[in-house]
Amino acid sequence: MVNAIDEQLATNLYFDKTFNCEAAKILPGEYYTTNRDIVIVTVLGSCVSACIRDRVSGIGGMNHFMLPEGSPADANNPISESARYGTYAMEVLINQLLKGGARRENLEAKIFGGGNVLSGFTSINIGEKNAAFVRKYLKNENIRVVGEDLNDVYPRKVYFFPRTGRVLVKKLKQLHNNTLITREETYAKKLKTDKVAGDVELF
Amino acid sequence: MANPNTKFLVVDDFSTMRRIVRNLLKELGYNNVDEAEDGVMALAKLRSGNFDFVVSDWNMPNMDGLTMLQQIRADPALSSLPVLMVTAEAKKENIIAAAQAGANGYVVKPFTAATLDEKLSKIFEKLEKAGG
Repeated sequence: MVNAIDEQLATNLYFDKTFNCEAAKILPGEYYTTNRDIVIVTVLGSCVSACIRDRVSGIGGMNHFMLPEGSPADANNPISESARYGTYAMEVLINQLLKGGARRENLEAKIFGGGNVLSGFTSINIGEKNAAFVRKYLKNENIRVVGEDLNDVYPRKVYFFPRTGRVLVKKLKQLHNNTLITREETYAKKLKTDKVAGDVELF
Repeated sequence: MANPNTKFLVVDDFSTMRRIVRNLLKELGYNNVDEAEDGVMALAKLRSGNFDFVVSDWNMPNMDGLTMLQQIRADPALSSLPVLMVTAEAKKENIIAAAQAGANGYVVKPFTAATLDEKLSKIFEKLEKAGG
Protein backbone atom coordinates (compact mmCIF):
# COMPACT_ATOMS: atom_id res chain seq x y z
CA MET A 1 0.00 0.00 0.00
CA VAL A 2 1.24 3.44 -0.81
CA ASN A 3 0.78 6.13 1.78
CA ALA A 4 -2.16 7.70 0.03
CA ILE A 5 -4.20 10.74 0.83
CA ASP A 6 -7.68 9.79 1.80
CA GLU A 7 -10.65 12.05 2.46
CA GLN A 8 -12.20 11.07 5.77
CA LEU A 9 -15.78 11.19 6.89
CA ALA A 10 -15.94 13.52 9.90
CA THR A 11 -16.57 11.72 13.18
CA ASN A 12 -16.81 14.65 15.57
CA LEU A 13 -20.52 14.96 16.43
CA TYR A 14 -21.81 17.03 19.34
CA PHE A 15 -24.84 18.94 20.55
CA ASP A 16 -24.59 22.64 19.72
CA LYS A 17 -26.14 24.72 22.49
CA THR A 18 -26.23 27.92 20.45
CA PHE A 19 -28.39 26.43 17.73
CA ASN A 20 -30.03 23.82 19.91
CA CYS A 21 -29.38 21.03 17.46
CA GLU A 22 -26.93 18.30 16.63
CA ALA A 23 -23.71 19.41 14.99
CA ALA A 24 -20.95 17.77 12.98
CA LYS A 25 -17.57 19.44 13.13
CA ILE A 26 -15.27 18.88 10.20
CA LEU A 27 -11.50 19.30 10.06
CA PRO A 28 -9.12 19.76 7.11
CA GLY A 29 -9.31 16.72 4.83
CA GLU A 30 -12.72 15.68 6.12
CA TYR A 31 -16.26 15.85 4.78
CA TYR A 32 -19.73 15.15 6.10
CA THR A 33 -23.11 14.59 4.48
CA THR A 34 -26.53 14.21 6.08
CA ASN A 35 -30.25 14.10 5.40
CA ARG A 36 -31.01 15.19 8.97
CA ASP A 37 -31.74 18.66 10.29
CA ILE A 38 -28.36 19.37 11.85
CA VAL A 39 -25.62 21.95 11.48
CA ILE A 40 -22.23 21.25 9.92
CA VAL A 41 -19.46 23.42 11.33
CA THR A 42 -15.92 24.15 10.31
CA VAL A 43 -13.22 26.79 10.71
CA LEU A 44 -11.39 27.83 7.55
CA GLY A 45 -8.15 29.67 7.05
CA SER A 46 -6.72 29.31 3.57
CA CYS A 47 -8.68 26.08 3.11
CA VAL A 48 -11.98 26.07 1.27
CA SER A 49 -15.31 24.41 1.95
CA ALA A 50 -18.05 23.64 -0.52
CA CYS A 51 -21.49 23.40 1.10
CA ILE A 52 -23.54 21.44 -1.40
CA ARG A 53 -27.19 20.42 -1.08
CA ASP A 54 -30.11 19.06 -3.03
CA ARG A 55 -32.51 21.99 -2.95
CA VAL A 56 -35.50 19.65 -3.25
CA SER A 57 -34.74 16.92 -0.73
CA GLY A 58 -32.52 18.92 1.64
CA ILE A 59 -29.75 16.31 1.64
CA GLY A 60 -26.52 18.20 2.01
CA GLY A 61 -22.90 18.13 2.99
CA MET A 62 -19.67 19.99 3.35
CA ASN A 63 -16.02 19.29 2.65
CA HIS A 64 -12.90 21.11 3.82
CA PHE A 65 -9.68 20.95 1.85
CA MET A 66 -6.77 22.77 0.28
CA LEU A 67 -4.75 21.99 -2.80
CA PRO A 68 -1.29 20.56 -2.37
CA GLU A 69 1.41 23.13 -3.00
CA GLY A 70 2.52 22.78 -6.60
CA SER A 71 4.55 24.75 -9.08
CA PRO A 72 2.95 27.91 -10.52
CA ALA A 73 2.69 26.16 -13.88
CA ASP A 74 0.24 23.71 -12.30
CA ALA A 75 -2.62 26.22 -12.39
CA ASN A 76 -3.65 25.29 -15.92
CA ASN A 77 -2.47 21.72 -15.91
CA PRO A 78 -5.49 19.42 -15.61
CA ILE A 79 -3.39 16.51 -14.37
CA SER A 80 -1.25 18.32 -11.80
CA GLU A 81 -1.22 16.99 -8.26
CA SER A 82 -3.38 19.98 -7.23
CA ALA A 83 -6.04 19.38 -9.84
CA ARG A 84 -6.21 15.67 -9.17
CA TYR A 85 -6.48 16.08 -5.41
CA GLY A 86 -9.01 18.92 -5.57
CA THR A 87 -11.16 17.00 -8.03
CA TYR A 88 -11.03 13.99 -5.78
CA ALA A 89 -12.00 16.01 -2.67
CA MET A 90 -15.03 17.42 -4.52
CA GLU A 91 -16.03 14.11 -6.02
CA VAL A 92 -15.98 12.27 -2.70
CA LEU A 93 -18.47 14.79 -1.27
CA ILE A 94 -20.76 14.84 -4.31
CA ASN A 95 -20.75 11.04 -4.68
CA GLN A 96 -21.73 10.69 -1.04
CA LEU A 97 -24.65 13.10 -1.60
CA LEU A 98 -25.80 11.21 -4.70
CA LYS A 99 -25.55 7.91 -2.84
CA GLY A 100 -27.71 9.42 -0.12
CA GLY A 101 -30.39 10.16 -2.69
CA ALA A 102 -29.52 13.67 -3.88
CA ARG A 103 -30.09 14.37 -7.55
CA ARG A 104 -27.37 16.01 -9.54
CA GLU A 105 -29.67 18.48 -11.30
CA ASN A 106 -30.95 19.71 -7.91
CA LEU A 107 -27.52 20.47 -6.49
CA GLU A 108 -26.58 23.98 -5.44
CA ALA A 109 -23.46 25.16 -3.67
CA LYS A 110 -22.21 27.85 -1.36
CA ILE A 111 -18.45 28.22 -1.13
CA PHE A 112 -16.30 29.69 1.62
CA GLY A 113 -12.74 30.24 2.74
CA GLY A 114 -9.54 30.72 0.84
CA GLY A 115 -8.42 33.53 3.11
CA ASN A 116 -4.85 34.70 2.81
CA VAL A 117 -4.12 33.80 6.43
CA LEU A 118 -0.89 31.88 6.13
CA SER A 119 1.13 34.87 4.96
CA GLY A 120 4.79 34.09 4.74
CA PHE A 121 3.92 30.43 4.72
CA THR A 122 4.24 30.25 0.97
CA SER A 123 5.21 32.54 -1.86
CA ILE A 124 1.92 32.12 -3.66
CA ASN A 125 -1.45 33.00 -2.18
CA ILE A 126 -2.68 29.50 -1.47
CA GLY A 127 -6.09 30.73 -0.32
CA GLU A 128 -6.74 32.39 -3.64
CA LYS A 129 -5.64 29.30 -5.50
CA ASN A 130 -8.02 27.13 -3.46
CA ALA A 131 -10.94 29.51 -4.03
CA ALA A 132 -10.27 29.72 -7.76
CA PHE A 133 -10.19 25.94 -8.00
CA VAL A 134 -13.57 25.44 -6.32
CA ARG A 135 -15.22 28.12 -8.48
CA LYS A 136 -13.86 26.63 -11.67
CA TYR A 137 -14.72 23.07 -10.65
CA LEU A 138 -18.36 23.88 -9.89
CA LYS A 139 -18.66 25.83 -13.12
CA ASN A 140 -17.29 22.92 -15.15
CA GLU A 141 -19.62 20.49 -13.41
CA ASN A 142 -22.66 22.76 -13.88
CA ILE A 143 -23.37 23.05 -10.17
CA ARG A 144 -24.94 26.41 -9.40
CA VAL A 145 -23.16 28.60 -6.85
CA VAL A 146 -25.82 30.44 -4.85
CA GLY A 147 -23.55 32.09 -2.32
CA GLU A 148 -19.91 32.65 -1.54
CA ASP A 149 -17.56 34.38 0.84
CA LEU A 150 -14.01 33.84 -0.35
CA ASN A 151 -10.49 35.24 -0.06
CA ASP A 152 -9.77 38.33 2.12
CA VAL A 153 -7.31 37.88 5.00
CA TYR A 154 -9.49 36.51 7.80
CA PRO A 155 -10.19 33.00 8.97
CA ARG A 156 -13.89 32.10 9.01
CA LYS A 157 -16.15 29.94 11.10
CA VAL A 158 -18.87 28.49 8.89
CA TYR A 159 -22.19 27.00 10.04
CA PHE A 160 -24.10 25.17 7.30
CA PHE A 161 -27.71 24.02 7.73
CA PRO A 162 -28.18 21.57 4.85
CA ARG A 163 -31.92 21.16 5.38
CA THR A 164 -32.59 24.83 4.57
CA GLY A 165 -29.36 25.82 2.86
CA ARG A 166 -28.78 28.59 5.37
CA VAL A 167 -25.16 29.44 6.12
CA LEU A 168 -23.76 31.65 8.86
CA VAL A 169 -20.23 32.92 8.50
CA LYS A 170 -18.29 34.52 11.29
CA LYS A 171 -15.07 36.26 10.27
CA LEU A 172 -12.51 35.71 12.97
CA LYS A 173 -10.68 39.00 13.19
CA GLN A 174 -8.74 37.88 16.20
CA LEU A 175 -7.51 34.38 16.84
CA HIS A 176 -7.20 33.47 20.50
CA ASN A 177 -4.70 30.77 19.86
CA ASN A 178 -2.70 29.15 17.13
CA THR A 179 -4.84 26.04 16.68
CA LEU A 180 -6.24 26.94 13.27
CA ILE A 181 -2.89 27.90 11.75
CA THR A 182 -1.14 24.86 13.19
CA ARG A 183 -3.90 22.57 11.96
CA GLU A 184 -3.71 23.94 8.41
CA GLU A 185 0.07 23.79 8.38
CA THR A 186 -0.01 20.16 9.50
CA TYR A 187 -2.56 19.38 6.79
CA ALA A 188 -0.48 21.21 4.15
CA LYS A 189 2.61 19.26 5.23
CA LYS A 190 0.71 15.99 5.02
CA LEU A 191 -0.39 16.84 1.48
CA LYS A 192 3.20 17.63 0.63
CA THR A 193 4.71 14.42 1.98
CA ASP A 194 1.96 11.97 1.10
CA LYS A 195 1.68 10.85 -2.45
CA VAL A 196 -1.41 12.10 -4.27
CA ALA A 197 -2.07 8.68 -5.68
CA GLY A 198 -4.61 6.01 -4.99
CA ASP A 199 -3.82 2.44 -4.10
CA VAL A 200 -3.37 -0.02 -6.88
CA GLU A 201 -5.32 -3.20 -6.42
CA LEU A 202 -4.05 -6.16 -8.32
CA PHE A 203 -6.15 -9.12 -9.27
CA MET B 1 5.13 0.47 -25.80
CA ALA B 2 1.77 2.18 -25.96
CA ASN B 3 -0.13 1.48 -29.13
CA PRO B 4 -1.39 4.97 -30.00
CA ASN B 5 -4.28 3.50 -31.97
CA THR B 6 -5.81 1.80 -28.94
CA LYS B 7 -9.32 3.21 -28.75
CA PHE B 8 -10.36 4.11 -25.21
CA LEU B 9 -13.75 4.92 -23.75
CA VAL B 10 -13.58 6.97 -20.54
CA VAL B 11 -16.78 6.70 -18.50
CA ASP B 12 -17.34 9.16 -15.63
CA ASP B 13 -20.18 11.46 -14.60
CA PHE B 14 -17.76 14.27 -13.70
CA SER B 15 -16.47 16.17 -16.72
CA THR B 16 -13.46 17.31 -14.67
CA MET B 17 -12.50 13.70 -14.03
CA ARG B 18 -13.02 12.67 -17.68
CA ARG B 19 -10.67 15.47 -18.63
CA ILE B 20 -8.06 14.28 -16.13
CA VAL B 21 -8.21 10.67 -17.36
CA ARG B 22 -8.11 11.82 -21.00
CA ASN B 23 -5.01 13.92 -20.30
CA LEU B 24 -3.32 11.14 -18.33
CA LEU B 25 -3.91 8.77 -21.27
CA LYS B 26 -2.54 11.40 -23.63
CA GLU B 27 0.57 11.65 -21.48
CA LEU B 28 0.98 7.88 -21.85
CA GLY B 29 0.74 8.16 -25.64
CA TYR B 30 -2.91 7.24 -26.15
CA ASN B 31 -4.70 9.84 -28.22
CA ASN B 32 -7.74 7.92 -29.41
CA VAL B 33 -10.11 8.60 -26.52
CA ASP B 34 -13.87 9.03 -26.43
CA GLU B 35 -16.02 9.85 -23.39
CA ALA B 36 -19.37 8.85 -21.89
CA GLU B 37 -21.02 10.24 -18.79
CA ASP B 38 -22.83 7.16 -17.51
CA GLY B 39 -23.20 3.44 -18.09
CA VAL B 40 -26.17 3.77 -20.44
CA MET B 41 -24.37 6.17 -22.75
CA ALA B 42 -21.22 4.06 -22.54
CA LEU B 43 -22.99 0.83 -23.59
CA ALA B 44 -24.57 2.62 -26.55
CA LYS B 45 -21.15 3.89 -27.66
CA LEU B 46 -19.47 0.53 -27.09
CA ARG B 47 -22.10 -1.26 -29.17
CA SER B 48 -21.71 1.10 -32.08
CA GLY B 49 -17.94 1.66 -32.13
CA ASN B 50 -14.81 -0.43 -32.17
CA PHE B 51 -13.44 0.25 -28.72
CA ASP B 52 -10.38 -1.56 -27.38
CA PHE B 53 -10.45 -0.50 -23.76
CA VAL B 54 -12.84 0.93 -21.15
CA VAL B 55 -11.77 3.07 -18.18
CA SER B 56 -14.79 3.54 -15.95
CA ASP B 57 -15.88 5.22 -12.74
CA TRP B 58 -18.12 3.30 -10.33
CA ASN B 59 -20.67 5.78 -8.95
CA MET B 60 -22.73 7.28 -11.76
CA PRO B 61 -26.41 8.13 -12.26
CA ASN B 62 -28.63 6.11 -14.64
CA MET B 63 -26.28 3.12 -14.72
CA ASP B 64 -23.28 2.70 -12.45
CA GLY B 65 -19.93 1.26 -13.49
CA LEU B 66 -20.49 -2.15 -11.93
CA THR B 67 -23.82 -2.71 -13.72
CA MET B 68 -22.20 -1.53 -16.96
CA LEU B 69 -19.35 -3.99 -16.44
CA GLN B 70 -21.83 -6.84 -15.86
CA GLN B 71 -23.67 -5.94 -19.06
CA ILE B 72 -20.42 -5.82 -21.02
CA ARG B 73 -19.51 -9.30 -19.81
CA ALA B 74 -23.01 -10.57 -20.65
CA ASP B 75 -22.90 -9.21 -24.21
CA PRO B 76 -21.19 -11.70 -26.58
CA ALA B 77 -19.96 -8.85 -28.80
CA LEU B 78 -18.32 -7.01 -25.90
CA SER B 79 -17.58 -9.72 -23.35
CA SER B 80 -13.82 -9.81 -23.87
CA LEU B 81 -13.36 -6.03 -23.74
CA PRO B 82 -10.82 -5.02 -21.07
CA VAL B 83 -12.35 -2.83 -18.36
CA LEU B 84 -10.37 -0.86 -15.78
CA MET B 85 -12.37 0.52 -12.87
CA VAL B 86 -11.14 3.86 -11.52
CA THR B 87 -13.07 4.93 -8.46
CA ALA B 88 -12.98 6.92 -5.27
CA GLU B 89 -14.23 3.80 -3.44
CA ALA B 90 -11.40 2.02 -1.68
CA LYS B 91 -13.65 -0.40 0.22
CA LYS B 92 -12.70 -4.04 0.03
CA GLU B 93 -16.23 -5.18 -0.82
CA ASN B 94 -16.26 -2.88 -3.85
CA ILE B 95 -12.95 -4.25 -5.08
CA ILE B 96 -14.17 -7.82 -4.62
CA ALA B 97 -17.46 -7.06 -6.40
CA ALA B 98 -15.56 -5.53 -9.32
CA ALA B 99 -13.25 -8.53 -9.53
CA GLN B 100 -16.19 -10.94 -9.44
CA ALA B 101 -17.96 -8.99 -12.17
CA GLY B 102 -14.90 -9.42 -14.37
CA ALA B 103 -13.00 -6.14 -14.07
CA ASN B 104 -9.47 -6.37 -15.44
CA GLY B 105 -8.16 -3.95 -12.84
CA TYR B 106 -9.09 -1.47 -10.16
CA VAL B 107 -7.46 1.87 -9.38
CA VAL B 108 -8.38 4.17 -6.52
CA LYS B 109 -8.55 7.93 -7.12
CA PRO B 110 -6.66 10.24 -7.05
CA PHE B 111 -4.21 8.24 -9.16
CA THR B 112 -1.19 9.37 -11.18
CA ALA B 113 -0.14 8.76 -14.77
CA ALA B 114 2.42 6.29 -13.42
CA THR B 115 -0.25 4.30 -11.60
CA LEU B 116 -2.45 4.23 -14.66
CA ASP B 117 0.49 3.23 -16.85
CA GLU B 118 1.45 0.40 -14.53
CA LYS B 119 -2.10 -0.87 -14.48
CA LEU B 120 -2.60 -0.63 -18.25
CA SER B 121 0.71 -2.39 -18.97
CA LYS B 122 -0.22 -5.25 -16.66
CA ILE B 123 -3.59 -5.64 -18.34
CA PHE B 124 -2.11 -5.57 -21.87
CA GLU B 125 0.55 -8.06 -20.80
CA LYS B 126 -2.06 -10.47 -19.45
CA LEU B 127 -4.23 -10.09 -22.54
CA GLU B 128 -1.27 -10.86 -24.79
CA LYS B 129 -0.46 -13.99 -22.83
CA ALA B 130 -4.07 -15.11 -22.89
CA GLY B 131 -4.27 -14.42 -26.60
CA GLY B 132 -1.25 -16.67 -27.08
